[in-house]
Amino acid sequence: MLSTSPLLHFAENALQLIALFFMAIAYTLKLRWIFRFPASADRQPPANPAVTNGALGARQSLLAVAMPWTMASTRQHPLLYVQFVIFHLAVAASIAMSFAIPYAPQRIADAGVIMALQLLFLGGAAVGIVRLIRRIADSYLRAISSPDDYFSLIMLIVWLLSSTWAAPNHPSGGEAGLTVYFLLTAFFLVYVPFSKISHYLYYPLARWYLDRTLGHRGVYPLNGA
Amino acid sequence: MARSRSYKAQKLIERMQQKLTRQMVVSLSACVHCGICAEQCHYVTSHPDDPTYSPAYKADRLRRLFKAHLDWTGRVVPWWVGARSVYTDAELEKLKDVVFGKCTNCRRCSLNCPMAVDLATFNRMARGLLSHVGMMPEGLAHVSKDQWETGNQMAVSPEDYLETLQWLEEDLQSTYNDPSFNIPVDKSGADVMYTINPREVKFDPRSLAQAATIFHLAGENWTLPSEGWDMTNFGFFTGDDDLAAAMPSRVYDAAERLGVKKIVMTECGHGYRSLKWEGPNWAKRTVRIPMESIMVTMRDYIQSGRIRVDKTRNSLPITYHDSCNLARSCGLLEEPRELLRLVCTDFREMYPNRAENYCCTGGGGALMMPEYSSRRLESAKAKAEQLQATGAKIVATSCHNCVDGLLDVIAHYKLDMEVMQLVSLVANALILPEQKSPPADAQG
Repeated sequence: MLSTSPLLHFAENALQLIALFFMAIAYTLKLRWIFRFPASADRQPPANPAVTNGALGARQSLLAVAMPWTMASTRQHPLLYVQFVIFHLAVAASIAMSFAIPYAPQRIADAGVIMALQLLFLGGAAVGIVRLIRRIADSYLRAISSPDDYFSLIMLIVWLLSSTWAAPNHPSGGEAGLTVYFLLTAFFLVYVPFSKISHYLYYPLARWYLDRTLGHRGVYPLNGA
Repeated sequence: MARSRSYKAQKLIERMQQKLTRQMVVSLSACVHCGICAEQCHYVTSHPDDPTYSPAYKADRLRRLFKAHLDWTGRVVPWWVGARSVYTDAELEKLKDVVFGKCTNCRRCSLNCPMAVDLATFNRMARGLLSHVGMMPEGLAHVSKDQWETGNQMAVSPEDYLETLQWLEEDLQSTYNDPSFNIPVDKSGADVMYTINPREVKFDPRSLAQAATIFHLAGENWTLPSEGWDMTNFGFFTGDDDLAAAMPSRVYDAAERLGVKKIVMTECGHGYRSLKWEGPNWAKRTVRIPMESIMVTMRDYIQSGRIRVDKTRNSLPITYHDSCNLARSCGLLEEPRELLRLVCTDFREMYPNRAENYCCTGGGGALMMPEYSSRRLESAKAKAEQLQATGAKIVATSCHNCVDGLLDVIAHYKLDMEVMQLVSLVANALILPEQKSPPADAQG
């Protein structure tokens, strides 16, 4: 016998699987499309193999996300980096929660874990609001922003707020929070491949290609600047 | 009803679809419009109220075209993701103004992008698309034509080239009172083939004379080629990949014809990058002959004792300007510093430096586009402040283009500095054998 309503049960399970399946197909097609374009590579031997090479350059580059000191842009803006960390951790935790609730609810049943998750989601939503204000107020950001940039941000703010609401996972106390959260998660999964949020698919590829080249040529790893 | 498109706009779009590589597609797709690249650009720091100078904004001029024609969402709901095609020649003119007049392809934004979006490469590609339909600044078009037609950017005829070398050789023999001093041309089997910037034979042969002196004193078995001696590459600036492949191919052909063991390049940032790294890719050939900058050759000569120097002859405070191409795209970061510490007594860094240095503002062919000069010099504020903060009296660099760019900055911002190439500093510090007298203009 179901302990939740049919709608919530569907939203938690079948709907998520359908959305994930759709997302997987969309990403598979996207990757196939990307890999149809020819990749260029340096023909010359590495510049300074004793010190660096393409693999080292790419490795540093892929880890750059955790090494804010390696880029002037993040060194100069530590607060933006902190915002980035909070926001992305919150998104990652919410995605994990969408699996944990239907498949391993005991893992997030502890009151301490719930509170930590809620704080993280609220922090992420707060950062999202700060980012939205920055995007609207900063003339540089406004000039490059498209409707997708605004919508993606607003959607994530709302989704993180719904995550905060859903985190206790107590359907007996009312299903609204969980239902909203899972419906939004499904929408999120379907929308992401067509929006800027799919940047995480390109991130490792972009870093790999650029910084493999720079490592090969002796630029990366950077030092001394 | 579909909007009509001009012939050139149509050709530009078709060309874009042919030129896209996987790296470009990934990069074009990855930008999240975070805007963190903005203040890494020297154009932005000097135009803080104009967002059209932002690297992301400039890159979006190409990205929106890509999205309109290739991106899934952009093709269905273009307005949602900022996709927009081009339809008129006037729109192409606007694109030209951005990609040629508001960016020197210095790549500082690329290295500071958290997503590793290579914005400078977009810019070069956009230049190439415009060049494909005949749209580029007149100065670049003129020089490109000379490179295609004569094999060198200043249209130096073979006769003038050889006469200049002959004159230079006689002058050096006389200066050093040494009849054995020669500038070999087309010497088969030489250990080193030296390639130069045409300005060294057309306008200012001092750096070539200094290099020849250093090769001579090092006892180097060297030569210049009679053909394929121009190591510069205007295809690099215009985005014309055919010219970009043709120029280095002439040099590789010369080196293979002469059977030399190594190609040594004069001090030129874009030339070094073109010849050593991009050239083999553009020309689709693997070059087995090692290639190096003369800065590395000179450092090795000093360290191995092939030439001797007295660093006290360069006693004024000296700072070093990293050429964008040499540092950010080719990794020549420590070599110039090692050399400078060998030939001067007061070397001081400017900040930021190495791969984080600011452009001299003369990169990307900017010096050949006078229509954008005022904009370029305004954008040099960051560079001028960097230079001034060092307190140095000499700014050394290893790029002919940077020499001219820095001279403009120094003149415009009235800085009390002069610009010297590394080869000049080494020549100035040379300890000559007893029977030879130093050239008058090399004494510090």
